[in-house]
Amino acid sequence: MLLDYDRMGWLRVVLLGFTGLVAAFLLLPVVFIVLLSFGSSRWLAFPPPGWTLKWYEELLADPAWLDAALTSMRIAAMAAVLAVAIGLFASFALVRGEFRGRDVLRGLLLTPMILPVVVFAVAIYAFFLRLGLGGTTIGFVIAHTVLALPFAIIPIATALEGFDKTIEDAAIVCGASPLEAKLRVTLPSIKIGIFSAAIFAFLASWDEVVVAIFMASPTLQTLPVKIWGSLRQDLSPVIAAASSLLVLLTLFLMIVTAFIRRRFSK
Amino acid sequence: MTQPFLSIRNIRKTFGAVVAVHDVTVDIPKGEFLTFLGPSGSGKSTTLYAIAGFQDPSSGDVLLQGSSLLSVPSHKRNIGMVFQRYTLFPHLTVAENVAFPLRVRRRPDKEVKRKVDDMLALVRLEGFADRRPGALSGGQQQRVALARALAYDPPILLMDEPLSALDKKLREEIQAEIRRIHRETGVTILYVTHDQEEALHLSDRIALFKEGRIEQIGSGEDLYLRPATDFVAGFIGNSNFLPAECLETAHGSATIRLADGSVVSGVKANHSLSRGQKARLMVRPEAFRLTPGASCAELAVEFIDTAFFGERRRVVARTAAGQEIDIRPTSDAADGHGGIASRSRQVFFDPAAAFLFPA
Repeated sequence: MLLDYDRMGWLRVVLLGFTGLVAAFLLLPVVFIVLLSFGSSRWLAFPPPGWTLKWYEELLADPAWLDAALTSMRIAAMAAVLAVAIGLFASFALVRGEFRGRDVLRGLLLTPMILPVVVFAVAIYAFFLRLGLGGTTIGFVIAHTVLALPFAIIPIATALEGFDKTIEDAAIVCGASPLEAKLRVTLPSIKIGIFSAAIFAFLASWDEVVVAIFMASPTLQTLPVKIWGSLRQDLSPVIAAASSLLVLLTLFLMIVTAFIRRRFSK
Repeated sequence: MTQPFLSIRNIRKTFGAVVAVHDVTVDIPKGEFLTFLGPSGSGKSTTLYAIAGFQDPSSGDVLLQGSSLLSVPSHKRNIGMVFQRYTLFPHLTVAENVAFPLRVRRRPDKEVKRKVDDMLALVRLEGFADRRPGALSGGQQQRVALARALAYDPPILLMDEPLSALDKKLREEIQAEIRRIHRETGVTILYVTHDQEEALHLSDRIALFKEGRIEQIGSGEDLYLRPATDFVAGFIGNSNFLPAECLETAHGSATIRLADGSVVSGVKANHSLSRGQKARLMVRPEAFRLTPGASCAELAVEFIDTAFFGERRRVVARTAAGQEIDIRPTSDAADGHGGIASRSRQVFFDPAAAFLFPA
């Protein structure tokens, strides 16, 4: 191939340099935040005059932070479960169904990924105020489920497309009812897709801030909302510590996903 | 009157304006190995799917021991099926795959275990019980699929081109296995294939499909030696069709004139042909001889190419009318004639072993 890496000669250096720049541009802010969370400077000076864990101590000692983290996890977990459940049914309809308007439905279900989040946030805020769901956990979960749905549907539908329906038919001829065949054969066969869907849906809610700001109340705040709120009051390194924990969990989940995918795709 | 074991009655299937299966009717005795043979799109698989319950026929009925199967959902028909695609459950081991139909039937553990062992022994894969399907070859996967389909002792086993994804050598090996398993279990098998050699090798009877209808049904010998139509003659075995004109017919025997002007009498003609009607004479490549015999007809040809194929030689020859034909004399008969390409000569055939069909 013309653009084969091994044949590029000196262009390789340019390519490597450019790729490195892009990676640095994407990663450096995160690295700075993590470094600052261990820095001893109250004013987030860089380079830090010394190293300390006291911001983490402060973070863990403040029940408001812990509360926000737990709220985030609870909402993300519920939104993930709901998004996977709905995504599973939706994927069967989109992959296996033959009905008018299937492509329109697919587009509609994936809209939350493309629609400007702030537009969605304003709309659902107004709507939920009317229903009395503003500032409630249920409202939060519903809003985040909608946002997480595309992230659940894409991996599940992809896995289902890659699964030969004849295998399900074989289970039915073997005596399994259509439902039993799906539960005992189809779902276990697409479990990697379902697992990925759960992780992505969880993360979609976990780091979501725009809708969360609209949905939050003084007593119900997710971690990103708490970080945002604290940032506006004062610029404390505790925020850097909280952000680092947010990054850490995300990173952990991504690594677990990659690991499991690799193990099962063998 | 004895009731047939499995009876397919006037099955018809339409997809919109397209008729995939026209009025197919077959009675199958218990223990028979019946093959649906035909080109793709001839309706053979659609008929099989109607029996399995994946496609409801537009009209007609399928009766098993006198009671209709059509109102029974697929999973309650108690039919075994092996598919063209590999359909082992990827997340289960070989033993768990074979156990699956027994587990959904809630059979006791002890019976399941014994049956799985029996079935793996039947398909000679005893050592593979704990493997995953991904670690098996295509041939092994289809043998496990066969074990799974037979584990619950179904009265009928349907096989939809189960060997078409395998290479030739493996295919022949598993054909022999299927014959043995049919002999040992006595299960009634309906087999779909487009490969005539496979059909001839395996079946008690063959139903040859053409455009949604059964063109002819009978043993492999019937179809080869007594083809009812030119389609059957062309599909089963190799064949040459020589254009001819009918001069006279009497008592199933005809006198014809071939395109090069030679007159042949005593050819078999099961169809009513009138004098002067255009016809096609079918002669099997292996029916041609290089030396004259009693009451043989002769044909002037020019050898274009010859090749050695072990027990037979394959000769491409051109008739005086310019048509290329295929001739396969036995190698010893052709001995000494191998290197005579591009030479004009006579070849001979027995008119009673040739068939006349209307053009």
